Amino acid sequence: MFRNQYDTDVTTWSPAGRLFQVEYAMEAVKQGSACVGLRSRTHAVLAAANKAASELSSHQRKVFRVADHAGVALAGLTADGRVLSRFLRSECINHAFVYDAPLPVSRLALRLADKAQVCTQRSWKRPYGVGLLVAGLDESGAHLYYNCPSGNYFEYQAFAIGSRSQAAKTFLERRFEGYNDYTPEQLIKDALSAIKETLQGEKLTSSNCTVAIVGRKDDGTVEPFEMIDVKRIQEIIDSMEAAEEAPAAEAESSSMQEEDKGTDAAPMDI
Amino acid sequence: MRFGSDSDQDPVLVSVSTTRPRLSLLFDSLRKKEKGNQNKSRRDEADRSIAPEPNLNPSEREIERRKKSNLFEEEIMAWQQPMDGSHASGSKAAAAVADGPGTQRTQYPYVTGSSIIALKYKDGVIMASDTGASYGSTLRYKSVERIKAVGKHSLIGASGEFSDFQEILRYLDELTLSDHMWDDGNSLGPKEVHSYLTRVMYNRRNKFDPLWNSLVIGGVKKGPKGEEKYLGMVNMIGTHFEENHIATGFGNHMAIPILRTEWREDMTFEEAVKLVEKCLLVLLYRDRSSINKFQIAKITTEGATIYPPYSLKTYWGFAAFENPAQGAVGSW
Repeated sequence: MFRNQYDTDVTTWSPAGRLFQVEYAMEAVKQGSACVGLRSRTHAVLAAANKAASELSSHQRKVFRVADHAGVALAGLTADGRVLSRFLRSECINHAFVYDAPLPVSRLALRLADKAQVCTQRSWKRPYGVGLLVAGLDESGAHLYYNCPSGNYFEYQAFAIGSRSQAAKTFLERRFEGYNDYTPEQLIKDALSAIKETLQGEKLTSSNCTVAIVGRKDDGTVEPFEMIDVKRIQEIIDSMEAAEEAPAAEAESSSMQEEDKGTDAAPMDI
Repeated sequence: MRFGSDSDQDPVLVSVSTTRPRLSLLFDSLRKKEKGNQNKSRRDEADRSIAPEPNLNPSEREIERRKKSNLFEEEIMAWQQPMDGSHASGSKAAAAVADGPGTQRTQYPYVTGSSIIALKYKDGVIMASDTGASYGSTLRYKSVERIKAVGKHSLIGASGEFSDFQEILRYLDELTLSDHMWDDGNSLGPKEVHSYLTRVMYNRRNKFDPLWNSLVIGGVKKGPKGEEKYLGMVNMIGTHFEENHIATGFGNHMAIPILRTEWREDMTFEEAVKLVEKCLLVLLYRDRSSINKFQIAKITTEGATIYPPYSLKTYWGFAAFENPAQGAVGSW
């Protein structure tokens, strides 16, 4: 009847050295709708695919502003995600109160990871069922972190989480090497393309995605974390589609080479 | 970082005693009776002692009754001591309100340092002070360093209670150490240190147990908009601001006018030293608690440099110094 006798609480090891409850929590991240994040040296962009739970409901928010210099996108249990983003907000505001300066993103991500880790080592607790992409700005530039329910966290140039995020990851893997020098506009376009990959044929519109950006201008002034206006997203999507159609007709002759490239890209296997 | 080990400190620097004054017992019983607006009601009572109100509620009547005992009267007196740094020796100045029962903390300074002068110049910030510390009005210590480096980007200078400054340095040591241990390329700049100290100072003042200092924080740090010079101060009640030139203590009266007329943004280090020395000399002549042994420190992008102490040449032959009482009617 029971699949597993080692998964009744988080702190019990399996003989193979695994913590099943933690792995289930990580599975919850994969159930949520997709989120992507990517960054250049100066800007970081978060994007999420919005999916309504039913025909009759609206979708849940997936991207949250934490402070002027940082924000998160989440996949998994949104309720857990809101608790964590409230925690992040209070950490940031307390730091700002004492030091009159924004909390460095690396320290923000670490505090979040420490909080998640505690839940993997207490028998009366459960891990958070949410994965967070933390994007932000500090004195060393723009940063993107992925925080996992297991308490692990990683820094990325670009990353995707959530359902069908594999397609987005494959897309990002092909292109991430140029991201450091991307303009904000280019970052947004790639974020939208990556989200589009996760939709599997469903049409990408401004109503089924959210995009947010934070960064620093060349003169050093901060562009605070901000959701991008729906109208502007639609304009960008339209321009992307127009660009896709135009060269597609012209480049049909060279499509042989394109296809070769497509098969070369190794599928990411995680 | 330390000024001396704990063992060689003057016993008078130890600022916590464990006597429980009878006053505080009385005060405690009052506190139980009258929860809430302690401070206000006591002040009100003090006013009423001139013209007592006929209609008092029970708790006020109780206080009125207690007030007949001169113990309570004395406590009101203690509360109304001006916070101007004058030594209220022998009075009940140190009211036991700072901590729980059984602890009484010094609420007036014992060993104090005099002015700090600081200003921005072309490459950074320069800070100067003498190296004296007074025990009351006695010039008791002649070579204490009142300017210290904090982290990589900041200098701090302190007027006022010397042991409180040592405690502040301990806080800052802890802060910069833990900041360094993150090892993530981020570090506290002068602005962050200043803000932190502002919180500490204001918090302690609100506990009615202030750190009896005026602190000056100067520094340079590379920001997104290039090198940023910073100079700010915070005092014992938490008042804080940024300025191009700052002088604390007597310097606030004697040196600020000089700095206002002679300070420029693009001063070289040599010019800045000259200006600072002018201020220090005026203070040496006019501030009885200053001594002729000075220390200058600078902070630039290269880091902090604290120079060894030296003396300035004085000239006491001015007519006004020959017979200072002449023309000052009513003095001796």
